[in-house]
Amino acid sequence: MYTKFLILILNGLTQAAIFFVLGSGLTLAFGLMRVMNLSHGAFYLLGGYIGYSVVHATHNWPLALVAGSLSIALLGFLFERTMLVRVRGGDLPETLLTIALSMIIADVSLAIWGGHPLTLNLPAYLNPPIRILGITYPGFRFILMGLSVLIAFSLWLILYRTKLGASVRAGVDDRETASALGVNVDKIYSFVFALSALLVGVAGVLGGSYLQLSPGSDTTILTYSLVIIILGGMGSLLGTVVSSLILGQLLSFGLAYAPQYSYFLIFVPMGVVLAIRPQGLFGRQV
Amino acid sequence: MSRTGANRRRLVFGTGVIVLAVLLPLYAGEYTVTTFTRIIYFGFLALSVGMLVGQAGMVSLTQTAFFGLSGYVIGLLGTERGMPFPLRDLIAIGAVLITALVFGLIAMRTHQIVFLMITLAFGQICWAFAQQNTSLLHGWAGIRGIRPPTILGVNFGRTSNFYWAALFIIAIGIYTLRRLIHSPFGLALNGIRENPRRMSALGYPVYWIRVASFLVAALYAGVGGILAAYSTGIVTPTTMQLSRTIWVLLTVILGGASYFWGPIVGTIIAVWLDVLISQGTARYNTVIGFIFLMTVLFLPGGVLSIAEFFRDRANNPLLDRIFRLKSGEKNK
Repeated sequence: MYTKFLILILNGLTQAAIFFVLGSGLTLAFGLMRVMNLSHGAFYLLGGYIGYSVVHATHNWPLALVAGSLSIALLGFLFERTMLVRVRGGDLPETLLTIALSMIIADVSLAIWGGHPLTLNLPAYLNPPIRILGITYPGFRFILMGLSVLIAFSLWLILYRTKLGASVRAGVDDRETASALGVNVDKIYSFVFALSALLVGVAGVLGGSYLQLSPGSDTTILTYSLVIIILGGMGSLLGTVVSSLILGQLLSFGLAYAPQYSYFLIFVPMGVVLAIRPQGLFGRQV
Repeated sequence: MSRTGANRRRLVFGTGVIVLAVLLPLYAGEYTVTTFTRIIYFGFLALSVGMLVGQAGMVSLTQTAFFGLSGYVIGLLGTERGMPFPLRDLIAIGAVLITALVFGLIAMRTHQIVFLMITLAFGQICWAFAQQNTSLLHGWAGIRGIRPPTILGVNFGRTSNFYWAALFIIAIGIYTLRRLIHSPFGLALNGIRENPRRMSALGYPVYWIRVASFLVAALYAGVGGILAAYSTGIVTPTTMQLSRTIWVLLTVILGGASYFWGPIVGTIIAVWLDVLISQGTARYNTVIGFIFLMTVLFLPGGVLSIAEFFRDRANNPLLDRIFRLKSGEKNK
C-alpha cells in the first residue's frame, strides 16, 4: 500500500512537471496579449515529433530537445509576425487563426509521421533506475521534475529580475501606458509568443519521451493546458504551479482508482473553482 | 436599385431555392440527397453556434456536445431499450436542456475568451465521458443501428422521406429563430452583445438573458443531433470531438457570423467542400484549415460580406461589427 501510494505520488509529480511547462507558456501569452493560443496542443505534438525524428536520426536526445523547442519557437515567432499581428485586438479572429493553424499542423503531422503512436527513445544514461525510499523509479522522471523546477525558476528570474521582464509585466498590467512610456509592446508580444512556443516545444519533447505522441494528443494536451490555466488563474505563474500539482496528483490517482473517469475527473476542480471564483485560484479579474 | 425591386428579386430567389430544395429527391441521386440531409443536421448545429456568436457575441465550443448528447439519448433509449418515437426524442431534448442549464449557469459567470475556454472544457468533458465510459456508452464503439421511426405508415428510414422530414423541421427552426431574433428578447441579446454594462444599467437581467440564449442554442444543437443520429444510424465520441466543434465554428465564420443566413450558407459550402476535397486528396484538413486561415485574414465578414462589399464600397462597418466588437468593449 505504502509503495503503491509513493509511486502514484511520484507519477503525479512527473505529470505535474509536464503540466507546468505546458501551462506556463500559455498563461504568460494570455496574460500579456489576451491571445488564447488554441494551437498550443498542436505545437506540443509537432515539437515532440520533430524531437522524435532528431532522436531517430542522431540518437542524441539533448539535441532533440533543443531542435524540437527551437523549431517550435521559430514557428510561433513567424506565425505571430505574419498572421496574428494582422488581426491584433480582435479576440475572435486571433483565436480562430490559432484554431485554423492547429488543424493544419495536426494534419501535416499525420501526413509526415503517420497515425501510429511514437515515443522518443531515451539513452540509458538519462534514465538510470533510481532507488528511493524503498522503491525503484525511472531516473528520467526526476530529470523531468528537475527541468520543470529549473524552467519555473528561470521564468521567475526573467519576469522579476530583468528589464525585459519588467516591460512584460508592465504590458500585462496596462498595455497603453506601458506603450506610452516607451516600451515597445510589439516586440514584447513577439518575444512572449515565441517564448510560449519554445516552452510548449520543450513540453512536447519531454512529454513525448515518457508518454506517447499520436494524432489526437494535440486536443487532449490543449484541453489539459486550458484546464491548468483556468484553474490556476490566467496570467499567474504561481497559479500554474499550484494547479499543475493538483491536477498531476488527481490524474495519477484517477488513473489508478477510477480509470473510466480519469480524464473526466480533472475537470472537477475547475468546475468547483469556476463556480466560486471565476478568475481562478490566483488570477485577477479579466 | 429601388427597394421594391430588391424585395421582388429576393422573393423570386427565395421561392426558387425552396422549390429546388423540396423537389431535390425527384431530380438528384441518393448520394446528393444524403449530402443535403447532412447539410441540414450540421445546419442546425451551425445555427446554434451562429446564434451565439452573431446575436449574443459569445463563442461557445460546447454546442457539439449537445449535438452528440441527444444522439446518445436516442441510441440508449430507442435502440437499446426500445422506447418509442416521440417519447425518446422529447427525453433527448430534455436531457440537452438540463445539461445546457447546468453548463450555462456556470459558464455565463465569465465573458469573452474565458467563456470560450470554459465551453471548450465542457465540450471536452462530455467527449471524455463518452470515450472513457464503456459500461453505458460503449467507449469508442459508440451506439450503432439507430433507425428513424415509421410514423402513420410513412417509413422515414427511406432517404427521400427522411430528407423531406428534416427539411420541414429546419424550415420551422429557421422561421422560429428569425422571429426570435427580431423579438424583444433577440434585441435585448443584441444589446448585451454591444454593451452588457449599459443593458444591465437599463434593468435587463443580463445574466439570465445570456443563460436563456444558451438554452435556445442548445435546443438547436440537440435537434440537429437527433437528425444526425437517425440519418447516420450511429453515434460515437467522434460525433462530439473537438475537431468537429472547430469545424462548425469555422463554418459559421466562413458563411458570415453576423448574417442570419451565414451559418446555413457556410454549412452548404463547407459540406460540399468536404465532399469535393476528400475525393481528391487525403490531406483535406490541411486544405480546409488553409481556407479558414485565409477567410479569417482576408474575408473576416465571411462569404456573405462579399455582396455587402460590392453594394457599399466605402468601409463597411458590418465587416468588422462582430470582429472588432470585443476589443472595442474593452476600451470603453
